[in-house]
Amino acid sequence: MSSVQTGDAASATRPIATEAMRAQPITKVQLVVGLEIHVELSTLSKMFSTVGSVAHPSRFDAEPNTLIDPVTLGLPGALPVLNGAAIEASIRVGLALGCSIAPVTRWDRKSYFYPDMPKAYQISQYDRPVCFDGAVTLPPIDDAGKADFAATLGGRKIGIIRAHLEEDAGKLLHELPGGLRLDDASIVDFNRAGTPLLEIVTQPDFTTADQVVVFAQMLRDICRTLGVTEGVMQRGHMRFEPNINCMLTLADGHVVRTPVVEVKNLNSFRSVRGAIAYELANQPERWRKTGIMFAPGTKSTRGWDDVANETFEQREKEEAADYRYFPDPDLLPMTISAETVERLRTSLPELPLARRRRYISEFAMSDADAGMLTDEPAVCELFEQAMQTASAMGVPPQRAAKQAANFILQAGAKRANERTSRRAAERAEAGEDLGGSESSVTAVLVSDLGVSGTQLGGLVKLREDGAINSNAADELFGLLCEAEHHGADPATLAKARGMIVVRDDAAIDRWCDAAIAEQPQAAADVRAGKQQALGRLLGAAMKQAAGKGDAALIREAMLRKLSS
Amino acid sequence: MSIPGVMQARAMMDRRELTSSELVERCLARIGERNGELNAFVQVFGDEAREDARASDERVAAGAARGVLEGIPVALKDNIATVRGRTTCASRHLEQYRSPFDAAVVEKLKASGAIIIGKTNLDEFAMGGSGEHSAFGPTRNPFDATRVPGGSSSGSAAAVGAGMVPAALGSDTGGSIRQPAGWCGIAGCKPTYGRVSRFGLVAYASSLDQIGTMAPRAADAAAVLGVISGHDPRDSTSGPWDGGEIAAAAGSLAGVRIGIPVQAADGNSQGVSKAMAAAEDVLTAAGAKCEHVELPHAGAAIAAYYIIATAEASSNLARFDGVRYGRRAELRPGEGLMELFCRSRSEGLGAEVQKRIMLGTHVLSSGYYDAYYLTALKARRLIREDYEACFARGISAIMMPTSPGPAFVLGAKSDPLSLYLEDVYTVGVNLAGLPAVAVGCGRETMDERELPVGIQFIGPMRSESRLFGLAGAVERPAVAG
Repeated sequence: MSSVQTGDAASATRPIATEAMRAQPITKVQLVVGLEIHVELSTLSKMFSTVGSVAHPSRFDAEPNTLIDPVTLGLPGALPVLNGAAIEASIRVGLALGCSIAPVTRWDRKSYFYPDMPKAYQISQYDRPVCFDGAVTLPPIDDAGKADFAATLGGRKIGIIRAHLEEDAGKLLHELPGGLRLDDASIVDFNRAGTPLLEIVTQPDFTTADQVVVFAQMLRDICRTLGVTEGVMQRGHMRFEPNINCMLTLADGHVVRTPVVEVKNLNSFRSVRGAIAYELANQPERWRKTGIMFAPGTKSTRGWDDVANETFEQREKEEAADYRYFPDPDLLPMTISAETVERLRTSLPELPLARRRRYISEFAMSDADAGMLTDEPAVCELFEQAMQTASAMGVPPQRAAKQAANFILQAGAKRANERTSRRAAERAEAGEDLGGSESSVTAVLVSDLGVSGTQLGGLVKLREDGAINSNAADELFGLLCEAEHHGADPATLAKARGMIVVRDDAAIDRWCDAAIAEQPQAAADVRAGKQQALGRLLGAAMKQAAGKGDAALIREAMLRKLSS
Repeated sequence: MSIPGVMQARAMMDRRELTSSELVERCLARIGERNGELNAFVQVFGDEAREDARASDERVAAGAARGVLEGIPVALKDNIATVRGRTTCASRHLEQYRSPFDAAVVEKLKASGAIIIGKTNLDEFAMGGSGEHSAFGPTRNPFDATRVPGGSSSGSAAAVGAGMVPAALGSDTGGSIRQPAGWCGIAGCKPTYGRVSRFGLVAYASSLDQIGTMAPRAADAAAVLGVISGHDPRDSTSGPWDGGEIAAAAGSLAGVRIGIPVQAADGNSQGVSKAMAAAEDVLTAAGAKCEHVELPHAGAAIAAYYIIATAEASSNLARFDGVRYGRRAELRPGEGLMELFCRSRSEGLGAEVQKRIMLGTHVLSSGYYDAYYLTALKARRLIREDYEACFARGISAIMMPTSPGPAFVLGAKSDPLSLYLEDVYTVGVNLAGLPAVAVGCGRETMDERELPVGIQFIGPMRSESRLFGLAGAVERPAVAG
C-alpha cells in the first residue's frame, strides 16, 4: 500500500501528448522501476498483542480464526501493546540495508473501511519510519541477466527510501477451505490480522527486470539470514509491488515519460519479472493510444494474471483515497537509543553476498558452490560450524572447505532430496494433498538430516587424513543421519564399522597380489604399458580390501609391483 | 432511606454493624425506588450482587477480607467492559454486546472485594454533557427530575447523588465526571492521565479519556481511586506509578496558595459565584491564600478539545462496522459491502455520535489536517504550559467551578454550540493531562428547587491526594430525597 497521501490526485490535470508526438517512431525505451516490498516478520506473537503470529513457523497451519484475541478483533476496550521483537527485527533489516535508524519513531493510524481490517484503521508509520536513507549495491549483471556475485565492483546502487513497520490485515475469502464457492457471502480469516509487516521502499533506481529480481532475491536472502522472516513465498511472507514506467525517446529527440503503473501483490520472483517485462513491452503502445504522460495523479494500479502472464487494469477508486493519517494516541512515540542501534549493528551476522564472496575468494570455491551453500541460512550455518571444527583439528581452510562442501552438496543433498520425496509420497498416501499450493511439503534441508557441524567437521578431518575412502565417507555420513548415531563421534563410528583405511603394507601387498592373480591378463596389459587396464586391477584390489582400502595407497603399491 | 458512602460503610462493616448482604439489599431497594424515574442504571445485577455479597460476608467471617472495598457495592459506567452482563455504551450498536474480558479497573475492584452491582447510563459512547444522548433514554437529575444530571457519566452521578450506591466509576474525557458530580452534589475525580489503566474502557478520545471515581464525599472517591489506580502493561499510556497511594490528605493549609483563574470569575450564576466565595472563605480561614491567576489560553480550550476529541473519536469508533460484532443492518437485495458499513453505522449510532464522527473525519481530512488538528495540538501544548506556569510559580492548586451554573432543564439546550460551551471549565484539564477533583459545594434555587453546584480543584501531575484534601475541606455533600 503506498504510504503517500494523494489527496489532490483527483483534481490534478493530466498532460496529454499531442497527436504529432504520438505519431513519431520511438527510438529508445528506458525502463524505470521502484520497488515496494512487504516482509512478514516471523515474531512469535503479533505486532500489538500477545496472541501467536501466523508468520511464525509453529503457526503456519493454524486453523482459520484461531489466532485471535480482543486486540486482533478490535473489540471495544482492547488496546495495542508494541512487540519489541518486531522493532528489533526491523532495525536489523534497516542496518543490513545501510539505513539510518530514527532516534524517535512514531505510530500512525491509516484509516479505511474493509472487512479484513478489524479496527477500520491500520497501525502504520507515516512520517517517522523506523529506518530511512539506505542503499544496496547489486552485483554486476550481464545482458543475459546473469549476476556476477564474485565481482565486487561495477554493480548498480539501489537507494532505499525507507522501511517502516505496520500491521497486516486479515484475509477475505470467497470460498470455503474445501473449495466450496460461496455465492452470496464472503468470509474473513483474522489469523493474519496484526502480523508485523515491514514495508521497504526503494528509489526508482532499477533499469532492468533482472536488477529487480536480483535485488528481490538478495533481500530475501538477507532477511532469512537475519532470521526475521521465514520468507516462504507461497505463504505470502514476501510481497512485491513494482512501480513501473518508461522513458521514451522520440525520433525528434524529445523524451516523454509514461505514467507510473503499480502492480499489486506479487508473491513470486517469476511474477515480478513477468509484470515488469509485460509493462515494458506494453507501456509505449499504451502511451501512443492514450497520450497520457507522467504527472502527479496519473499513477494507476494493476493486478497480475499468473496464468495469462499479463497485468490487468484494477478498478480505480472513484475518488482519491484519503487515509487521514494521525498519530495513534494509544501508543507513545518510541525512542531508539544509540546504544540499542550499536548493539544490533555489532550483532549483525555476515550477510549472504559478503559470505558468498568470501567463500569464492578465501576458499577458491566456485560461484555455483558458494551460491548453493549460502542459499539456506541453516545449511550455511552447518558449513560454518564444520569449518570451525575442522580448522580446530588442523585442516587447512581451503581443503576443509572443499571437503565440507562436498559432503553437503553431494552426500547431504542426495539424502535430503530422498527424504523430501518420501515425505511428499507419505502425504499423498495419507490423502493430504488437496490440490492447493499450500499442501506442498516443506523441503528437507541438509541441516535437517541430524548431522551436526561438529560431526561434519570430524568427517572432513577423516577425509583429510586419508583415514576413510570416499565410499566409506558417504556411508559414514549416511550412518550419522540415522537417529541411533545422532551425536556420535565420526572417527569412533568409522573404527567400530571397520571403515578406517588399512595402511599396513603387508595387507596392501596381499590385496594387490590377489588382484593380479585374479586378473592375470590385466596385469600383463599394464606391464605392457596399457595403462587403461589398471582400473580393473585396482577395482579388484579395493574389493579385496572390503572398504578398508585407500585408493591412492593401493594404486601406488600396484604400480610398484607391476613395474618391478 | 439512603445508604452510606464508602468510608462510612467501611467503618460500619468493620464494626460489624453492617453486612455486605444488608448493604446490597439497601442499594437494590433504593434503586428499585428511584431508578424508574431517574434511569440511572441500564443494568442491575441483583441476583449476582446478592451472591457476591454472601461470598463477601463469608470471607469477612473467615478473616479473609480482600481489601478496603470488601463487600461494598460499586456501579460502573456502561462503557467499562465487564464479563458480567453487557457492555452497551448506551448505544443501539452495542445493545447486545457481551465483552469476553473485564476492564483492568474491574479486576482491581474485584481484587479489593468490591461488588459490581450494576452498570449506569451515559451519553452514548461518553459523548455529551447532559445525559440526554443515551439510546436507552435520558438520565434525570435526582434533585429535580425535570433537569439533566450532567454527563456523560450521567447514570453514575445520578446513582450516587440519589443514594443508590456508595460509589461508582465514570470516565472523564472533557469533564464527564466532574460536571455531573457538581450538578448531583457529589465528589468526582478525574485522575492524572495514565494513573488508571484504560484497558477495557471503550475509547472515545484515547489521549483524553481517563476512568475516575464518583462518591458522596471526597474521602470516598479517594479510597476507590487508590484501589483502581496503578501501572498496567496492557495500556501503553499507563504511567509507571503504583496504586494505593491516594488518600484525602488535608494536612495543614497554612500558607498554601490557591489560584483562581480570572477567566472563571465572570459569567457564572449567582449560586456558583456564592459557592466560590464560600469555598474561598473556608480555605482562607484554614490559612490558605487565595489569589487570581491567569490561564491566557483557556479561551482556546473548547475549540482544541472538540477538534482533538472528535478526531480521535472518528477513528476509535470506525471499528463499529457491523462485521464482527454489534448491530448489523439487514441488507436489501442488490446492496453490498458499502451499504453494510453505512447502514449498520447509520442505524446503530445515535445523532450526537454521528455528528462527532463527521466533525472528526473532517478535521483529519487531507487539506484540513494542518489547519484544524495540528493547530489544536499547538493550542493543547499552550494550555498545558499555562497550568505548568501557575504551578511553577508556587500555586498548589487551581480552584474553579465545574460549570457556570446549575443543571438545566431537559431539552433546554438543543443548540449544540451552547451545550459545548458548558464544558468551558472542564476540558482544559483533560487537554493538560492533569488531575482534578470536583465536589458538591452549595445550592442554587431554581424554580423553587434546591440544585447543587460544584467546585473543582486542579493540581500538578499526581497531586490527587492534595486535591482530595482541599475538596474535602470545602465540600457540602447533599443527598437527594
